Amino acid sequence: MIMLSVWKALFLREAVSRLSTGRVAWLWLLFEPVFNVTYMLVLYTAIRVHSVGGIDTAIWLMGGMLAFFMFRRTATQVMYGISANQALFTYRQVKPVDSVLIRAGLEGFLMILVSLILFSGAALFGFDIIPADPLAVLEAFFGLWMIGLGFGLATSVAIELVPEVGKLIGFILRPLYMISGVLLPIGSVPQPYRDYLLLNPIAHGLEAVRLGFAPNYHAVQELSIPYIYAFAMATIFLGLALHKRFATRLVMQ
Amino acid sequence: MIIVDDVYKRYQTDHGPGKWVLKGVTLTIPPKVSVGLIGGNGAGKSTLLRIIGGVDQPNRGRIERRARVSWPMGFGGGLQGSLTGRQNAKFVCRIHGHENDLSERMACIQDFAELGDAFDEPVKTYSSGMRSRLQFGLSLAFDFDIYISDEVTGAGDAAFREKAAAAFKNLASQASLIMVSHGEGTLKKFCSAGIWLHDGKARWFNDIEDAIKAYRKTIPT
Repeated sequence: MIMLSVWKALFLREAVSRLSTGRVAWLWLLFEPVFNVTYMLVLYTAIRVHSVGGIDTAIWLMGGMLAFFMFRRTATQVMYGISANQALFTYRQVKPVDSVLIRAGLEGFLMILVSLILFSGAALFGFDIIPADPLAVLEAFFGLWMIGLGFGLATSVAIELVPEVGKLIGFILRPLYMISGVLLPIGSVPQPYRDYLLLNPIAHGLEAVRLGFAPNYHAVQELSIPYIYAFAMATIFLGLALHKRFATRLVMQ
Repeated sequence: MIIVDDVYKRYQTDHGPGKWVLKGVTLTIPPKVSVGLIGGNGAGKSTLLRIIGGVDQPNRGRIERRARVSWPMGFGGGLQGSLTGRQNAKFVCRIHGHENDLSERMACIQDFAELGDAFDEPVKTYSSGMRSRLQFGLSLAFDFDIYISDEVTGAGDAAFREKAAAAFKNLASQASLIMVSHGEGTLKKFCSAGIWLHDGKARWFNDIEDAIKAYRKTIPT
């Protein structure tokens, strides 16, 4: 009962600070993916790439980028969830794990909204963006959200205990944009390197989203939804275990 | 009643574990007794308060709270700077399960804090006195048995101190206070018993005056 009130209060609080601190904070949520998709689209059009893997470049880029942002935004929001809410642990009933779980929930919710707005915008410009298999798209998005949550849960504890880990994770997250196949079709990478790239579950997620939009998309054959979910479950379990193990250390100073 | 049993506490510093701040503090704070904590700077007063309030954990020993204990009110603790006073207050009401009578509690807080228009400004723009008013108002909106205050009245102006004192007089029949203050007048006004922290140990005095005397003796003249 108390936990539910805490969650509700945290959710409203996070939503307020995410959407209304600073001028038009909500606009910036939309601006990042819009900007990224637009300039890459302009670039691809300039070099005359009109289709990737048999589907329209716009859909390919947009699906991939939004899917990637679903992971990255959730991961980074959750990762800094403890340090950002330190002031709230003054109240005994608020635990670090509550604040990070709520952040993940809020970010997933916001990314769904952002995606819907972006796709509706694209529809207005005449792109054919109705997914052929909406459930498959949702399944992939949800998997990516779960990986973000698991990654964030584990790293949020890690950076509290060893702050230097934060810098290391920064190094890791940057090239992830490149190697997850946001801009570069994984399918075009020769073996054995493709197998290495496909160890990364996010690459699977991106391909799955695109395949959900267009069944005629030439996704990589190794694409595996169970791999995404297994990876997500493993990291979430690890993250929750870390939160449980270090529950007192996290609020201690 | 609060039982503090053989509590040890040290903080983690950049170069390994720091010095012991509390070295085996054992106390029993009886119900309905207001207590003042006395000791020099760095004696561990705030540390002990935070541990009693359940915000921090001891390295060794244990705490037993047989009453509803408030969170430690202190400088800036528990308030999010980027949110307004109202948003902070709503959050605190919600986590204490007062969703249903939210407006009533909010009115009570607003009434006590007397922040005027500043109630809708971000907390980071507040002066320390204004923060104190808000924190104090917040904690008074809920029915605790024991209120924990870390110099919270120290920053307020005279009018606010009068008001806080009056509020506590009202509560005195049902609630008590554990407070840290360097103002002896404040301590004498609010507390009957005293705890003197020295060298990581705590000593209990049934009369706050004795605690102050004991503390004064250690100050070289």
